Amino acid sequence: MQIAAEIQLQRGSGFTLALNLTVNSTGVTALYGASGSGKSTILRLLAGLERGAKNDHINIISDNKIWQNSHQFVPAHARGVGYVSQQAQLFPHLSVRGNLEYAVRRRRSGTSMPLTEVSHWLGINHLLEMSTRQLSGGETQRVAIARVLLSGAQCLLMDEPLGALDHAARLQILPYIDALRRRLDIPVVYVSHALDEITYLADKVYLIDQGHITNQGSVFDLASSLSINSHLGDAVAAVVEGQVVEHDPHYGLTRLRLGDQSLYVSLRSEPKGSTLRLRIPARDVSLALKIPSETSILNVLTGVVSEIESVGEQPGLLIRIKVGEHYILSRITRKSLAQLGLQPGMSVFVQIKTVALLTDQT
Amino acid sequence: MLANPDLIALWITLKLALTTSLILMIIGTPLAWWLARTRHFSRVLIEPIVALPIVLPPTVLGFYLLLAFAPDGAIGQGWWLLTGEYLAFTFSGLVIGSIIYSLPFYVQPLQVAFENIQQAQLDAAATLGAAPLDRFWSVVVPLSRRGFVTAICLAFAHTIGEFGIVLMIGGNIPGETRVLSIALFDHVESLEYGAAHVLAMGLLIFSFLLLLLVYSINRHWQMRFAGAH
Repeated sequence: MQIAAEIQLQRGSGFTLALNLTVNSTGVTALYGASGSGKSTILRLLAGLERGAKNDHINIISDNKIWQNSHQFVPAHARGVGYVSQQAQLFPHLSVRGNLEYAVRRRRSGTSMPLTEVSHWLGINHLLEMSTRQLSGGETQRVAIARVLLSGAQCLLMDEPLGALDHAARLQILPYIDALRRRLDIPVVYVSHALDEITYLADKVYLIDQGHITNQGSVFDLASSLSINSHLGDAVAAVVEGQVVEHDPHYGLTRLRLGDQSLYVSLRSEPKGSTLRLRIPARDVSLALKIPSETSILNVLTGVVSEIESVGEQPGLLIRIKVGEHYILSRITRKSLAQLGLQPGMSVFVQIKTVALLTDQT
Repeated sequence: MLANPDLIALWITLKLALTTSLILMIIGTPLAWWLARTRHFSRVLIEPIVALPIVLPPTVLGFYLLLAFAPDGAIGQGWWLLTGEYLAFTFSGLVIGSIIYSLPFYVQPLQVAFENIQQAQLDAAATLGAAPLDRFWSVVVPLSRRGFVTAICLAFAHTIGEFGIVLMIGGNIPGETRVLSIALFDHVESLEYGAAHVLAMGLLIFSFLLLLLVYSINRHWQMRFAGAH
């Protein structure tokens, strides 16, 4: 399912929403922005839970079917999309199994995974006969995700689904949402104001601010964008994706392929060929013009300087380096910049001190 | 056995209460839903009209209904054209009067129950593929069961206990409009205290048992769903 939306909407309080966006038929499209920026309203419009007023111009098309324009409106129950919100909204009058069967009975065409398979995959088999109020926050969200999958939704709209959970529960559920696109090939629209969730999950990102799109692109491009990151200080980190090539239990390392270069991380359990997302903090990346010899740093990649942050008052600045298909950020001092004479287009050696998997971060 | 006038009055009373409750469920439920969900300005007007019978003396309501039920009255004329029958001093007229009189007792508890249902729950049902009527049966009705039990029992009991309005629009016709409360009044007037005691005590016990049932059902569900919403 592919969705294209043009939204011009005005609220009495002076809030306006004016943007166009497309949801690809695969992958995770993320809407990222502060609360109150209009992300949730966009999601509710896509779901058909909100319709806008007479003077609003809302056009939503999905796979050549008109969902909404000035004459037509397809209501939520006929759109074939699933919706998961921060409060999972399980039905309190039904057991966990009852909630899942509710979705099965109303299943739309599409995937027809059996209840047992879905609940096994989400690890909720032992909860089936429980009342919904006996569940923890993480369990509740897993049941909600199972329920939406069983309803045969052809697109998942998720509005801060982890917003009500503590850190441990979030880390536990993120891989399931990640697997939605890897395993089930269902497009996901993911709304969040948590950067770590976006960098972990998203393929395409829309940055939303006060009802407008301020930036859009792949998560890798945006995470390494100088204009977005220049104010973030020490927290700046690029995100790259690599494939597992081999494991080296002797040294406790796993080798990943990043384009045609290699990157080592501490030993992982994922099988060869799986894709891992990595976070590379800019302050842990240093640059050299000659290949560094006799260094303790394991990860040395070659790249090309693509962009240099304009020099200001502060002692440090960010350099964006293209490494194969990916971008890596490096924070260096102004003095180093002058000494090395770095210019866009120059080849450099990129030394990476630490590489963290996105699931490992705190 | 049917010869006993009190048993006939009991039968008329039960028939009236059952018919009234049934019709109230059909027309009162959508009205309660509309009142609970609408933001339409007319709600400001409709809500007090529905509640009016609570504060109005039954005789006032009965008096105006009697005028409306007359063969040349607003309702009576239409009814006569529709069915070829009169409304005043008939069982049908009594049913219409009871519906109006008991309407707030049915609508108000249900409206409160409907207002307590979160829109987000209905949104969740919609995005799982449930159409509006399906959402009503599968989410709204089970979540407002307590409201339904209270509403039905109050409407039923209230119809059974009604006196003033019956006297005004129904009169006291045995087998047609003579209900228990009127029969009780007759017994007292003719100083038949023994027979009056039977009816009075019967109504008292019935009302008590009904309320006992309502409260215990509600408590049972409250415990089952404690903290659920």
